[in-house]
Amino acid sequence: MRVIRIIIAAAMLASVSICAHAQQPGSAALTALIERAPDGRPKLDGIWQALAPANWDIRPHAARPGALDQLGALGAEPPGLGVVEGGEIPYQAWALEQQRDNYAKRLELDTEVKCFMPGVPRANYMGHPLQIFQSEQYVMIAYQFANAVRTIHMNDPGPAPTSFWMGWSVGRWEGDTLVVDVTNQKADTWFDRAGNFHSGAMRVVERYTPLGPNHLQYEATIEDPEVFTEPWTISLPLYRRVEAGAELLEFKCIPFSEEVLYGHLRRGADPEDENAADDTE
Amino acid sequence: MQRKPPPGQIHTMLLSSALLLTACQAPDPSDAFDSDYSPPRTSYGDPDLQGIWSNAVITPLERPRDLGDKEFLTPEEAAVYEQERLAATNRDQRPDNVATDVGNAYNNFWWDSGDNVVATRRTSLIVDPPDGRIPPLTAEAERRLESDPGFLGRRAADTFANFTDGPEQQDLMTRCIQFGSAGPPMLPSAYNNNYHLVQTEDHVLIINEMVHETRVIPLDGRAPLPKGLRQWLGSSRGHFDGDTLVVETSNFRPETAFRGASENMRLTERFTRIDDNVLLYEFTVDDPSTFTRPWTAQIPSVRVDDLMYEYACHEGNRGLYGILAGARAAEAAAEAD
Repeated sequence: MRVIRIIIAAAMLASVSICAHAQQPGSAALTALIERAPDGRPKLDGIWQALAPANWDIRPHAARPGALDQLGALGAEPPGLGVVEGGEIPYQAWALEQQRDNYAKRLELDTEVKCFMPGVPRANYMGHPLQIFQSEQYVMIAYQFANAVRTIHMNDPGPAPTSFWMGWSVGRWEGDTLVVDVTNQKADTWFDRAGNFHSGAMRVVERYTPLGPNHLQYEATIEDPEVFTEPWTISLPLYRRVEAGAELLEFKCIPFSEEVLYGHLRRGADPEDENAADDTE
Repeated sequence: MQRKPPPGQIHTMLLSSALLLTACQAPDPSDAFDSDYSPPRTSYGDPDLQGIWSNAVITPLERPRDLGDKEFLTPEEAAVYEQERLAATNRDQRPDNVATDVGNAYNNFWWDSGDNVVATRRTSLIVDPPDGRIPPLTAEAERRLESDPGFLGRRAADTFANFTDGPEQQDLMTRCIQFGSAGPPMLPSAYNNNYHLVQTEDHVLIINEMVHETRVIPLDGRAPLPKGLRQWLGSSRGHFDGDTLVVETSNFRPETAFRGASENMRLTERFTRIDDNVLLYEFTVDDPSTFTRPWTAQIPSVRVDDLMYEYACHEGNRGLYGILAGARAAEAAAEAD
């Protein structure tokens, strides 16, 4: 028995050391490889992309049919473990009802359908790449989706004069973590295609922490007393696009949204399209 | 946003113009602006061209025909031109004619096209060819434009009475898809003339205020995108030539059709800081299937000491909605009569 126990212990030790050699993101071996600026700050420059299917629903969710039957499996919504810490969003009671209603009307209400700039944090996990540029004065993030772009002010320029689709971003470093305070967003944007939503009073505190040369942990804490009972946090990794020659391509989606936005205003279209079935009776 | 250059800067620009005069036929700024000015450098040694720059200037792209071979205005002529232009474009008036009044809906509050001609007082932004005008079109381009004169051509010729049939019949600006002023190449326009240039060691980012067009320009010498991959903004690659940032762009879409150009247009842009407050922006259009020769324009972009804010055109596009809804309402009213 004793011999067996020793063998098991040895096997466990071996597996521990194998794990260490696999160099999990965040391990000392990998964080040592993070590229750094001359001042010692991590360089987050590069093209990053989320793999978590959070844009379908940031909460844990099973696979489900898509909004349009005609697309078959192509339009079905893939399952995901969710990116909300604890799994649940602390909605106020009315707001949970609102979210369900939003989901039912998502083709009509989701601003992604309309090709509007997606807001923060959603822009970071849409399934399109983003590119971070760390200049001497700013951190800029360019997004493939809708050509959206953010200026992250590393010197606080003062309060925002109005609201913006991509918000008003003021950044600072906490050790190796870039912390960005995002305020003054539009109330119209959602967190995902599942109708999870916020108000214009939302404050997002983002944390970008490199876990190695090719992984960036992204966290965002959401505060919005008009919609939620308490602050809550999402967390997911962003992966570096390592293929040679990777670059942001153009996804100018306005032409793709025009039928949805203006189709009912075409010459000859029925302006009361939704009631067309009633007319034929 | 504030756009007027401080007086000292105008002086410098005039000095530059004197140097330019002695360097005719030489659109290369390294020859034309042979001053002692040396731009600040980034920590990694590149010329520092960063900042928010404004192209708001009232000098026309092409020299007006009535100016003939007059290359420069005198200071007095420039003052008169500026006053006349301001009077002509003053939209703070309420004409009796309803259509004209509605046409002035964008009044002077929205108009932000600048009050001044370029500091060199050149009569056109085009510096080459010497007549200051876009070169004649090739026969091929004449045929192409005759068969499809583009939206503005069709509307002007009144051969496109169905331009309110749907969104696709409207021009790219009304649809918020692309503005000629944001380019590339960039040109002065009625408003939103600012752009933010940001540099890193391996990229340049140019964000144009107009419809937040964002160009990511790699400096690592990579090849352009594959030929079949065409984009509204093309595919841009940059490098430094001395103190000048050179950006070459190809892979345009046919719809872009800058000044009638084909998708084969090759664009070369040059950004040279000629003093602390002026970034000289030059572009050369080369499209042998459209123009009988390449042509070059020059805009001195003036530093803006302010922030640039997000311009969300599509998100707030009630205009296109109104155009189409109005056309349908007019049809319904005509049917009821």
